[in-house]
Amino acid sequence: MVTANETMRINLGPQHPSTHGVLRLELELDGERIVSCRPVIGYLHTGIEKSMEARNWLHAIAMTDRLDYLNPLGNNLAYALAVEALFGCEIPERAVVARVLLAELTRINSHLVWVGTNAMDLGALSVFFYAFRERELLLDLFEEMSGARMMTSFIRPGGLQDDFPDGWMQRCARVLDALPPRIDEYEALLTENPLFRERTIGVGKLAADDALALGVSGPLLRASGVEHDLRKARPYCGYERFQFRVCTATAGDCYARYQVRIAELRESLSLCQQALAAMPGGPVRTSDRKVMPPLRAEFQHSMEALIHHFKHYTEGLRPPAGEAYVPVESPRGELGFYVKSDGSGRPVRVHERAPSFANLQALPSMAKGMLIADLVAIISTVDPVLGEVDR
Amino acid sequence: MTAPDFVAGVPGAVHTVGRDGIDTVRVEPASWTELLRAAQAGGYTRFLDLTAVDEPQRAARFEVIATLHAPAAQRWLRLCASTAERLPSAVAIWPAANWYEREVYDLFGVRFDGHPDLTRILLPDDYAGHPLRRDHPLGDEPVDFTVTRETDAPW
Repeated sequence: MVTANETMRINLGPQHPSTHGVLRLELELDGERIVSCRPVIGYLHTGIEKSMEARNWLHAIAMTDRLDYLNPLGNNLAYALAVEALFGCEIPERAVVARVLLAELTRINSHLVWVGTNAMDLGALSVFFYAFRERELLLDLFEEMSGARMMTSFIRPGGLQDDFPDGWMQRCARVLDALPPRIDEYEALLTENPLFRERTIGVGKLAADDALALGVSGPLLRASGVEHDLRKARPYCGYERFQFRVCTATAGDCYARYQVRIAELRESLSLCQQALAAMPGGPVRTSDRKVMPPLRAEFQHSMEALIHHFKHYTEGLRPPAGEAYVPVESPRGELGFYVKSDGSGRPVRVHERAPSFANLQALPSMAKGMLIADLVAIISTVDPVLGEVDR
Repeated sequence: MTAPDFVAGVPGAVHTVGRDGIDTVRVEPASWTELLRAAQAGGYTRFLDLTAVDEPQRAARFEVIATLHAPAAQRWLRLCASTAERLPSAVAIWPAANWYEREVYDLFGVRFDGHPDLTRILLPDDYAGHPLRRDHPLGDEPVDFTVTRETDAPW
């Protein structure tokens, strides 16, 4: 029995639909009010960083897909940029622009899943179906390009795995044209919806100072009024050539995070269209044979190509000794791979700076004093992917 | 690239620039807290990441690496200290360091003195060992492929 002055302890999760994976929250409740909240993580720990050390530099690419299943191309990109920083190699123009296009398509993919699941958590089931319907268009594009809907492994150190298939860019443009009215549709269902506003406005507030002190990044930080986006702050991969604005809101509550992500969807669409329009011709793989193996067609007339191919697949990539960290803006915030090489074919260390890990650390301060029903909205707007939290 | 100004004030601090162009400062563990405070005072106010690298051939086998960000200058910074087993905690300086130090403790066994709750974070509490140490075996399960069994296949 709980008497009037006692608090109650309950577990939310690890198997709970609103925790977006296997997140356990130890809650201390006073009635329905949250006195304290302690996230317990690790249920999805797969030792992926240890596995990366045991394999070669290229194998790690396939594991980066699996860290954040909503942002596989963004993870490929962050890892590729870090390895390229070790090599100090140049990437062909077409690959640079194609990477921006792919990174933004994945951001749209991730934010669509977020809009859908967030609405579903708050009881608006239709939006979930609509958003997943549109996401399917993007997954079809990924599948056509890489052979895989989600585990793409398409962006590699030195460029891309391959060029786009014939007609892919036209189909991509058609998908991009179809999306803006669909986003209007979600907005029609949510933005002015009194139930949705009631559940999100003023809920889970995070002040800018707290967000900065807790290492929060991404839409969560921007919704608290901090204008920080790595694509502007530390342009990588040619982002400085594109026109886009950093989407911010000031309230720092769940509704502000919704506004930021919806605005980012539109900005990403515009970035994709700019990238498609600016797509130069030429190769998508660097000609630096230490970074990328030659295409098979070259074996016919080049002994050297054959030797490079052999060395590449027996020894793997051998980046010069050193360390590198290249932060990129993932849909969840600052993502970066710290890589360390000793000059051999295997990494000494690959560590992912996972945005969800830091963002989740801020959950207790957002949840304190809220109702337990609000917690569902807060977890959802933090948008954690437990795969990259637990690694 | 020149060293950030605060580096000169920290005894024994060695400044280099990584292959990624990020300033890297290495110190002895005794100066770790001083270095972190100096970096914070020098504008590097955001704590981003903390990890470690195990090199068992050295006496101070764990190199702990913190990544910081200076929002005003938009510069990133890497701070490193090598230790055999322990370092002072950074949680009093940056609350964000809390989970990161628990992770490094969990996976490498590096202890952070002064951490408010230095417990395992990713692995179960009763787990034995620290898996990201080099001498910890990479676990595996035997895979039972049908092709490795006796078959009547004509090939």
